[in-house]
Order: sequence, then structure tokens, then C-alpha cells
Amino acid sequence: MIAENKYMLAGSVDEALQAAKQYAGSYRFLAGGTDVISNKIQGNDTASCLIDISRIRELKEINGTGSWLKIGSLVKLEELKNHELIREEFPALIQAAHSVGSPLIRKTATLGGNLLCENRCVFYNQSEWWREAVGYCLKCNGDICIATGGKKNCFSKFVSDTAPVLIALNAEVEIADETGVKIIPVRQLYTSNGINSLAIPAGSLMKSIQLLPGTGLRCVFMKLRPREAVDFTSLTTAVSVDGNKKIKIVLGGVDPGPVIYEPEAGFDPEEMLEKVMKKPRMVDNDFYPRGYRREMIKVFIRRSLVELKII
Amino acid sequence: MKALQLTVNGKKLQVMVPEHEMLSTVIRETLGMTGTKTGCSQGSCGACTVLVNQEPVLSCITPAFRCEGAEISTIEGLANAGELHDLQKQFVEKGAIQCGFCTPGMVMTALDFTRKNPSAKIQDIKEALSGNVCRCTGYKKIIEAVATYVSESQMKKGKNTKPAGAERKYGIGISRPSLEAGRKVQGMADYADDYPLKNALHVKFVRSLYPHAKITGVFTDEAKAMEGVRYIACGEELPVKFGVLPISQDELAMAIHKTRYVGEIVAAVAADTEAIAEKACQRIKVHYEPLKAYLTIDDSLKDAGESERIHEYGKYNNNVHKKAELRFGDQEKGLKEADIVSAMSFEMEGVSHGFTEPHAASAWWDENGLTIITATQVPHYLHRALARTLEVPLSRVRVIKPHVGGGFGGKSDPFPHEIIIAHIARKTGRPVRVRLNREEVFLTNHGRHPSRMTIRIGAGRDGIFNVLDADIAIDGGAYGSFGVVTSYYNGVLLQAPYKIENFGFKTYRVYTNKPQCGAMRGHGAVNSRFAVECLIDDLAHRLNMDPVEIRMKNFLDADSLTVGQYRITSNGSVESIRKVAEQSSWKKRHGALEYGHGLGVGCGFFISGSALPIIRNELPQSTVHLKVDFDGRVLISSGASDIGQGSDTMLAMIVGEELGLSPDMVFVLGADTLLTPVDMGSYSSRVTFMAGNAARDAAENLKREIINAVTASLGIPGGELLFSNNRVFSNDKTVDLDWNKAVEILTAKRGAVSVSGKYISPKLGGDFKGAGAGLSPSYSFGACVAEVRVDPETGHVKLLHVWGAHDCGKALNPMAVEGQLEGSWHMGIGQAMSEEMKYHEGLLLNNNFLDYKIPTSLDTPDFSTNIIETIDPEGPFGAKECGEGALHPVIPAIANAIYDAVGVRVTRLPIKADEVLALIQKKKLNEMKEQML
Repeated sequence: MIAENKYMLAGSVDEALQAAKQYAGSYRFLAGGTDVISNKIQGNDTASCLIDISRIRELKEINGTGSWLKIGSLVKLEELKNHELIREEFPALIQAAHSVGSPLIRKTATLGGNLLCENRCVFYNQSEWWREAVGYCLKCNGDICIATGGKKNCFSKFVSDTAPVLIALNAEVEIADETGVKIIPVRQLYTSNGINSLAIPAGSLMKSIQLLPGTGLRCVFMKLRPREAVDFTSLTTAVSVDGNKKIKIVLGGVDPGPVIYEPEAGFDPEEMLEKVMKKPRMVDNDFYPRGYRREMIKVFIRRSLVELKII
Repeated sequence: MKALQLTVNGKKLQVMVPEHEMLSTVIRETLGMTGTKTGCSQGSCGACTVLVNQEPVLSCITPAFRCEGAEISTIEGLANAGELHDLQKQFVEKGAIQCGFCTPGMVMTALDFTRKNPSAKIQDIKEALSGNVCRCTGYKKIIEAVATYVSESQMKKGKNTKPAGAERKYGIGISRPSLEAGRKVQGMADYADDYPLKNALHVKFVRSLYPHAKITGVFTDEAKAMEGVRYIACGEELPVKFGVLPISQDELAMAIHKTRYVGEIVAAVAADTEAIAEKACQRIKVHYEPLKAYLTIDDSLKDAGESERIHEYGKYNNNVHKKAELRFGDQEKGLKEADIVSAMSFEMEGVSHGFTEPHAASAWWDENGLTIITATQVPHYLHRALARTLEVPLSRVRVIKPHVGGGFGGKSDPFPHEIIIAHIARKTGRPVRVRLNREEVFLTNHGRHPSRMTIRIGAGRDGIFNVLDADIAIDGGAYGSFGVVTSYYNGVLLQAPYKIENFGFKTYRVYTNKPQCGAMRGHGAVNSRFAVECLIDDLAHRLNMDPVEIRMKNFLDADSLTVGQYRITSNGSVESIRKVAEQSSWKKRHGALEYGHGLGVGCGFFISGSALPIIRNELPQSTVHLKVDFDGRVLISSGASDIGQGSDTMLAMIVGEELGLSPDMVFVLGADTLLTPVDMGSYSSRVTFMAGNAARDAAENLKREIINAVTASLGIPGGELLFSNNRVFSNDKTVDLDWNKAVEILTAKRGAVSVSGKYISPKLGGDFKGAGAGLSPSYSFGACVAEVRVDPETGHVKLLHVWGAHDCGKALNPMAVEGQLEGSWHMGIGQAMSEEMKYHEGLLLNNNFLDYKIPTSLDTPDFSTNIIETIDPEGPFGAKECGEGALHPVIPAIANAIYDAVGVRVTRLPIKADEVLALIQKKKLNEMKEQML
């Protein structure tokens, strides 16, 4: 039996969690919804109950008064630049947010939603008819990965542009569920498994993204895409360095999950770039060929290190 | 269904809506406010933008119930008591509206942006509009409109300024907005999917899952049994083949026995709602027996062996559809005699028109037979195809063209969906409607052919070309469409704009198991023009000549014949290239910029209407009727199809000019095959030249009628009278009448007067086989210079500026001409930089506006737009085409600029960063090797 479609506007986090419990297994939280709805229209997402959390006021605030800067998960990508502390401390986050979609998308899409954006693949983000014609892939209950012509792994791309920056900035997220609130590093939101790419458990909701200002952490963001607007990433890089010259490199758009690399002190740059370049599990499911994207990892990271005055 | 409360444009409403309905559907369908458009249903094009609580949202991906209790502002609510909002006025005044389909969304986005950024700069505006795709304008005039609105709003604060356009002058050569711009900017213009239709059925299609397969069974019982399903049609019901060209009648409305591409229609369901029809389609089971699929040009050129071919006809056991070959002079001798020869191979991917309005149509039958309202560029050919496939007399078909949201060649074939809904409407006795989603639009294709070609061009040491030989193969997809013409155009349109004595080409068009290719802006010659202009650049460099100079040496003269006997009349090649060279400081900068920064030039030319109609007959190519009645108004009726390019306005301007009438006295009835006389349609850049001439002829005939009536009534000898300022008079003022008085005399005892005008192309061309291809009463010419910056480490190409010049004979409406040129350049830039149709085993991979990459406002460089006027001897007031030819030079200009920047020759389209980088690296490696030697 096909479940009847439900649409609920949650007024509070509790209400949202309640609804999630009631519709366990068939719900989807809707923040901005710019990805979820497109996926629904194409039949990639079949949740019969949409729990719209976009009116939960407490999740829309940015609080910079404590030692941690708390950005509500429903803060829109467009709004980040309006916050002075974010502008001063975390300009790379603003750049990353600004690189997402189009101005219209950014006025609806939220930071939390971008972090929890479903992995994408050109063989998966297609209509029901299309996926039937190609012979359903692993990510839609098929037997093989179509992009690779038969591998048993899913190589759907991790496409959040803000996540690499937030990981590079050691950000954490507040996750609420029935039992309370816990705080986890952003990295732990992801499984790096293309089929089920998100580790956030059912029945839980991201409340905020937390960043520690004043640590002297600097970060450079770069993104490869064919057009200067609208496009999802072909490669996202975020490179951060802290006061102790500890470097963190995070890649997006090239692997089923974020790829993190933290070089040891005194590394040889070219050797390191070779290593980073080889890390992602990448296939040809992008506008640009795989080899080129690998090569760009090197170029982008090198440029980032130069910009950070590390090499 | 659940109750939803909304306030829409200040009006409180409660509607019953399914819980997962999108806001765009509620606005358009539940509320009937069709000013808001849907173009992509995935938030990638911005056409659906509305304001919710004063914030812009993409209504196609906004759940309606998210807006519970919200205030919605749509385009319909913007004008105040009939007066346009100042922003709307600027869209109208600046020519920011062509097809108008993106306009409502664009205006809403700009409205929000300018409210929040009252002193926005050009770059901010470009950025703000980068989520709204426009396929017509190249964004330039839209950005100008918004910028002017911003600056005028700032100046106006507290002051009372005159409304824009208050003292407009009208006439040939004076820019004016299109007739319907005011309607389009308010969302009042109806497109094919906007017509309300009582008691209509909705149609959805079952599409083939296989590129090439026998259909062994179609099982519809389960679908038939569903509630709300009213009719299911299968191929056998429509057995008559059709095609736009009489020689390529190879297509069926629905596949019978076998399917030839993934996405071909196999069955159609008509149901009470679209959702039911869609569900029913999923319950139709089709059994296929896969056949060997031919997916590449090479597959199809080869002998098919034991495998079944795509189509059965043809002399040889392969899948070649058409071989076209013409030779003039002696190419081998020319190549031997040349001091220098440039030869290269090129490859171009297929591209799609990307018009923002998806195909849609409604059809019904009544005492007059069939009426169909459909997004078409060619009502006349569709009229014929419907009569043929439905097996009814021509007199039982009426095709109405509503406002059309862009075509670019992609709405110039009769389509299966049009035939199918007409058929189901007849079978069910009910009106039937259909609209394709964006995926289906891409599958319908008819876009530019993927091509590959090897071309050789030779010259003397003096840079004079003496030979050009082209070997071309194009991938036609599963059906013929315009392909025979495309086959010729690829070669034959290389015989200009340069004099070349030894000229020859051979083109193969092959069938493959992919959606069919057809005509697209710049039809047939865009890819081969790209190749030749790159080769000329190479020749120039190797001869150490300036690429501008070498072209100047070789241009055809005005009033000359080409080697294949094209009659060149006016020719603005020299003026065009001079203009762009001068504006771009070519002499100083080309070859002199720092590494990574370059300038490139390209030229082009195009037909101004095909001299031969598609269907050979004795009908004029265009007929225009004028009717004048007691109220003095002149009604122009013409079958010409305004699809946003402004042809209705062009007709009104010509008739107004001839009769000396103000615009409020002239009305246009366009493209309704019951009410308007035949015009062949909007293709081959023919409308201004042909329908324009027919309109002028009609106006002259009306003048003669009036002169005869007036002079007879006054008892004076007939002769010339002048028509100006709504008056009819003689130089000596013995006759001096108000227009309405003259009309009173004309219509006395006679009633309304109708006159007719026509255009028939002169007999042109040689008497050899194939001489007709590319014949035109006139040709347009043009040139572009592009400036690029190439990142040598990433291969990324940033297009900085394009200077373009185009000889359109005479710009009847300069603003509309500029719009055509800028739109052409934008489309060329898309093909050059990012657009391609990619397939996986015959299945189109990028069938949406996210993955098919039309340049956004941020990807489109600034244009310097130059109109070159040469006054064509036969064009109306000297005009010739401007809608297609301008696309040709821009692509090679970009490739040649890349060469100037980093010294590599790109021979594939689109030009992708990975390939540019690979070429740069290869060049460096070669240089290193040379140094070591």
C-alpha cells in the first residue's frame, strides 16, 4: 500500500522529533528543501511524510556571545555573510556558502541542509524512468555501479561545499534526539559510503553548527565547477592552518565522503600533494574527467598553501 | 487534499491542495495564475520565481504547504492599476524581453534584489541574476534594464520624472519594444501550457527503454483498468509516417514494431489528470527484444553485417542516411599549387536549443475539424503533417501558435506529441493537453548534430586562399528531420564569405540510435565554420600574417557570385571585421598580450531565408493580408511565427512606415492557419526578409487602393499620394486627408477592404544537382573578436569580452537586432564553453538544466554590439537576417583567442578545461624535447 502523503509544519524541535517518531521510516526533514524536493520530484526520495522544520525559530539564530559561535542549522546560506563575527573569523565559510547553487537557492537553502545534502551521481540523480532504462544502480537498490560499469561499490559524490570548510575549521554540530543533545565533529556526520552517505541517525535533528573563534585558524576554500553559478562541485578543497602550523586538508566532490589529510610537520610539499591526490575514490561521474579532477586537487592544494604562506 | 490558506497579491484565498503539491502548481493550476512559469522543475532556471513574504523562492521546488498563511507576490500583482512598475517599464524599454518566458521570474528576482540593494552595481546585478536562465537575450539588455531602474530610482527620489518612453518616435530604424512586451512583462501573455481548457484530458507517454529493439508486445490492460484513464494509444493507430522534409518521411508518432532510441514514444495514456496518466504509463508493460545499437558515427558508417539496420531503406548495408557532395574547381590541383596548407580534424558534441519553455500543446475537434494550440515555429508544416498523419483533408486542420518561449530551431519540426494528442482528442471527443517535462524536451532533441570533420585549406604565400576541401560526418540520431539540409549546409556554406576557387566537400549523415538531431540556430554551418576559421587562424600564424588582414584579403566582393553560384548582394564583411578589430585594439594587442591572455577573431555568414521552400510548390513563400475597416485600423494577418524574436513587431513597423500610420493604428494577427495566410514559418532566418517584403507589398497594394478611391472620389487623375503622420496627401495639398477620412472614402459602398501582398524569391543558382542548397536571396555577414584569460595550470578559460559586428542590411528595429546578436553570441558561447549532450549507451545523461550547462549571467562576458548596415537591394528597407548568422564567428573567435593566449589549438567543442590543460602540457613537453635536441 502506498502511504498517504503528509506534510507537517513543525513549530519546535520537540514537535519535529515527535513527528519523526510517529512517521519513523517514511519521513524526511525539510529545511530549505532545495535538494530534497528536487530528489522527490525525480523519485530519488520517496519519503511520504515531509516534516517541514523551516519555521523552528530557535534554529535560525546565530549566537556569538559565548566562547563558541553557534550557527543555527536553519540559517540560510545567504545570511552567513551578514554576521560580523563570521565575516571576520571564518571568511572561507562565507565563500563556501556563496559557491552553492544560485542566489535563489542560497536564499532558501540552509547551512544544516547543505551539510546533510545527499550524495550525488549522474547515474543516480535522474528520473525513475531514466534509472529503469539504465538498469538501477547500487544507490537505488540495483546490483552494480553503472558509472564504473559493474563495480560493487557506490561512488556517488559527496557534494556539500560548506562541509569541507567546516571540517577544516574543526567545527562541531549539535544533534538532538529524544534522549537529548550531543555534540559531534562535522566529520562524524558522514559514512563515506555512497549508498547511505549520512551517519546522522534516524529520529535525530541537527540543531546548530559550532565554531570556536579566536584560535588563529586560517582557511582557504576553492571549488571547481564548469559555470560560475548553479553547478554542484566537481572538486571542493578547504585547507586550514592553525597557530602551530598544523595543516588540515579536506576534499569534497571527489569521493563518497569528505577526504581529510593532515600532513606531518616538515612534510615535503610535492610528496604530500601526490599522496593527497591519490586518496579519493573517484570515478567518471562528473562533467570533468577523473584524471583532471585528480590533477586539480594538486593545483588547488598547492595554491591554497601558497595563499596561506605555507609554501 | 488539505485546505491551504494563502494571500496572493493581496487577496486572501483558501484552496484544497494535495499535501505534497508544489507552490508553482498551486499558483498556475489551482489559481490559474499562469504568469508564473515552470521551466525545469528542479530549481535550476529561475522561471518560477515568486516572492513569499517578500523573499524570492523557486516555486517549482517549494512545497505549497510551506507557505501556509504566507503572502505570495506573483508577476500579476506588480503593475498598479494598469501602470507598469518602473522595473517592468525598464524591461520593456530596454528590450530585455524576447520570448518572455523567463521574464516573470527574472523580474521577481530583480525586484527583490533591487529593493535590498538600491545602489547595486552592474557586477552585483549579474551575480543576482545568475540563477535565472535566459536563452534569448544574452542577459545584456536584462542587466541594462535592471541597472537603469536602479540608477533612475536613485535619481528619482523625491523628484517627479517623466515615465519612460513618453515621447517615443516611431519608424523604421528607430528602436522600439516589441508589441507584446507589456503583456509579457505582466505575465499576461499566454504560452501553450497557459490556456485554460474545459474538460480536458492529460496525456503522458510510455517511452522506450532501449536504443534499438523490437517491440514484441505492449500490455495495457492493467493501465486501462485504472480509474480516470480514458484512452491508451499505441503505434498501430497512427501508421502514417511523417517528417519535416518531403524526402525524409521516416518518423512515426509512436513506435511500431521497433524503437530506435531511448526515449522514443511507444504508447500514450490520456487520463483525467496528469498524475493518473503518469501512473498508468508505469503500469503499461512493453516487451522488447534488443537489437544491436548503433551509437557512434563509426558504428553507423560500417557495414551492418547480419545486424538489423536502423532504417531499412538505402542502397548499402550500413546506416548512412545521406551523402552530400559538391565539387567546384579541382581540390587536388589546388592543394598541390598551394604554398601552404592547413589541415586538421575537429570534433563537436551535439548541443540542444535549451529554450526555456518546454513543449506543450492542446488539441480538440469540433465542427471545424481539429484545432491545436502548440508551441511551434512552423504552423504551416505542422498543419500539413497533421492532415497527413491523421488522414484528413488540409481543410480540417487549424494550427494556432500562441506566444512561444523560444525555439531556435527546436520547435520547427512536427512532433509526435502534437500528432498523438490530436489523435486522442478525436478518439475521445474531448480536448486533450500535453506538456513535456524538461527531460522529455531533451529527449525530443532536434538539436545540433554531433560532428567530426577533416578540413584542408590552402593559400599562396600572399595569403590568398586557393582551395578548401572538407570531409564531414554528422550524427543524425534516429530520424531524418532537417538532416538532408544539414548535410549540405555543413559543406556548402563554406563557399563564403571568402573567395575560394577550388572548393569541395563531402558530408555523410548517419543514423544512430539516439534522439534525432535537426536544425538549430546557425543551422548546419556552425561546426564547419568553427573549423574553417580556426584553420585560417593557423594559416595566418604560419604565414606570419595578421589573422584580420588575411581575412580582409579574401572576402568576397559585394555584388558577386560565389564558386557555387550564390548571388552575393550587399556584403558588410570588411566593415564588420574592421569594426571589431578597431574596438578591441586588435592591432596593438593581438599577439602582444602576456602569456595566458589572448585575442582571437572569427568571421561568418549566413543565409537570409532559403530561396527554396521545403515543400516544392508554387505558393509564395510568404503572404500577408491587410484589412482596413470603418475604424481606420489596419489589421495585418500573417502566418509568420513570432517566437520571441519580434517578427510581429517587424510586420507592424513595416506596414506602419509604408502607410504613414502611428503604431496604435496597426494590429497584427499572427500564425493561425485558419485565419492567417500561409507563411513557411520561422526557420532559415527568413521572416524579416520574406514576410517583411510581403508586408511591404501588401501595404503598397493598400496604398494603391486608397489612391484610386481618393482620386476617383475627387475626380482628379490618379497618381502618387503621400502617406505620413496618419494623413494621406499630395505635395500640392490638392489632396490632404486625415487617414480616417481616406479610409471612409475607400470603404464607402464597399465595406472593409482586404488586400494581399506576397514574397516569392527570385530564381537563383546553378543548374547542377545540389545547387539549391544554401541558396538565398541575400546573405548576412559578420565578425567577432573574443578576449580570454587562460589559467595555464588548470586550463580554465575565462571569457572576458566579445566584440561583435553583424551586417543585417538595415536594422529595422535596432534594439531587436541587438537582442538577436547578443542572444546568438550567448548561444555560441554555450556551445564553445560548456554545452554538450552526453550519452551513456544511447541514454542521455544530462537531460536537465543542472547538468546541461547553459551559461549563466556570470558566465556571459560583456558584449560590444555593432550593427553594420549595407542596405540590401531586395530586403525590406534593405534588411536581411540577424537571428542566426551572428552565432557563427563567436566560437572560432574564442578558440583563436585561446591560441593567442597559450599557443594551443583547440579542435573539440565544447572547449573544456581538462583538454586545454592537456594541450598546454603537451606543448610544454614538446618544447622541452626540442630544447634537449
